Amino acid sequence: MKIIRRIVAEEFPFILACPALVWQVFFLFLPVCVLLLYSFFELIPGHWLGSFTLDYYRQIVHSRALWAILNSSILALITSTICFVLAYPLAYFLAIKVAKKLRMFFLFLLILPSWTSIVVQVYAWFFLLDKKGYLTQFLYNAGFISDNFHFLNSYGTILIGMVSAYLPFMVFPIYAVLERMDKRFLEASADLGANGRETFRRVVFPLSLPGVYAGFLLVFIPSFGEFAIPSLLGGSKYAFWGSVIVDRFLRSRDWRSGAALAILGVSIPVMLVASSFIVKKIIEIKKRREKKRLTAVKDQW
Amino acid sequence: MVGDKKYMSMIVQPIFVSVVYLFLYLPIIVMVLFSFNKSANPMKWGGFSLQWYTQMWNIPEMVAALKTSLIVAAASTLLSLIIGVCFVVAHKWWKSEVLFSFFYVNILLPDIVLAIGVLSIFTFSHIPLGYGSLIVGHTLIGLGFVIPIIRARFVELDPYLTEASLDLGATYFQTFRRVLIPLLMPSLVAAGLLAFTLSLDDFLIAFFCAGPKVQTLSVYVYSMVKAGVDPTINAISAVLLGVSGILILVLLSLNVIDQVLSQE
Repeated sequence: MKIIRRIVAEEFPFILACPALVWQVFFLFLPVCVLLLYSFFELIPGHWLGSFTLDYYRQIVHSRALWAILNSSILALITSTICFVLAYPLAYFLAIKVAKKLRMFFLFLLILPSWTSIVVQVYAWFFLLDKKGYLTQFLYNAGFISDNFHFLNSYGTILIGMVSAYLPFMVFPIYAVLERMDKRFLEASADLGANGRETFRRVVFPLSLPGVYAGFLLVFIPSFGEFAIPSLLGGSKYAFWGSVIVDRFLRSRDWRSGAALAILGVSIPVMLVASSFIVKKIIEIKKRREKKRLTAVKDQW
Repeated sequence: MVGDKKYMSMIVQPIFVSVVYLFLYLPIIVMVLFSFNKSANPMKWGGFSLQWYTQMWNIPEMVAALKTSLIVAAASTLLSLIIGVCFVVAHKWWKSEVLFSFFYVNILLPDIVLAIGVLSIFTFSHIPLGYGSLIVGHTLIGLGFVIPIIRARFVELDPYLTEASLDLGATYFQTFRRVLIPLLMPSLVAAGLLAFTLSLDDFLIAFFCAGPKVQTLSVYVYSMVKAGVDPTINAISAVLLGVSGILILVLLSLNVIDQVLSQE
């Protein structure tokens, strides 16, 4: 008993860390391994693990599912680009132009939709854009659109839903960086003779790049795996990665090719994150070398 | 040139910002407005009424889904807070940066992968889906956000406080309970609020892991929307918006929003 108590007392930090690690390993890393196993081993009745095969991947590559991955990448890319174009001026305005007291109000308005279920956000658009929806009826009565005009089930509507759902996630990180930026940089830049445009291009924008990068990841990754928005606003007209996975796992119960599809698809955001991480590291190393060189030069003097 | 600059900042920017806000809020405003619609035709205004707000409580599926959502959100928030705070605190004494970056995976992986992961591990080990799988999945998401938020506060704490406590004869456990937890309280509340809303709002994990017998509110609303527009969905959505609004106001009043933003 005493020994146990002593072990508990001495190894307390380790014991504290355990639940999180166990949870993570059991419910995240292990499942990913299970998915890998599923996708690489053939199904033989009676054995849960058959012989190694690449058939499921071959199936994916030769089927329309590969297009779904491509579709999702394009959709995520367009969404994050539009979000960036809309979010940057907004974040800039909030961080630099708006008075501090009003900022909270603007931020609240931004957080509110992003803290509501995505299904609710999509329903709001659905309500406007449905065939009998408010906006459709309004435009029809005003004579702008013809009787058989559909907002729903089009690529544009999916994009509207995606952008409105993910826009706040682009604004927050850019806003956070700009807000924390030392405003004296702006004065210094103006004092040194730069005009507004130059200050923005050579001072503000480079400083805000980490926020832009974070925003891109925060928008690209979830919109790549999005299922609810295309499913509600796009009907079944467009096949995206998320919708094909739902199909394989919940409808056709074709788990092995579903697992292969999931692994193939998730490799895109994983590669994106990994490559940006490597680029970051390279820049860091370069900067350190430059610093070393500069201090060496200084020492020589 | 000066005139050009003024023109930009005085007129174009505010207009641009209001157009973006209008884009975000037009559908929400119309939806909430029509939740007070008396007419059963969801598209025609028939006068003010609160009937949909009373009627939604008469739908047994809706009440059951709400109950499930609240239970799952409370349980997963509590779990991710306990597990998360233990991990952050232990991390200080038991140094390893690599372990910490493990938890970025939860944010960086698309939710759908977490969802099929939980689904496959539960099916693989023949554990029936339901509350258990929902709580497991939501705790995974919660951990991804809770750990960075608590850590942001934790690294700002004076390390001498814990050392003083240990020097004065307190055990690790006493230091944890009496010194660290009170100091971390603001970040715990913020992280808890975030984990709670994330769980309440989640759709994908609930869609995959709820199993055939239970459903959360998001999944219920999804299946309703699939069936078509209905004024009770407007009322439910308006209530959900209101709840989110209150939670955000609490969070903003805690003054930890900067920490949350820097973690996002």
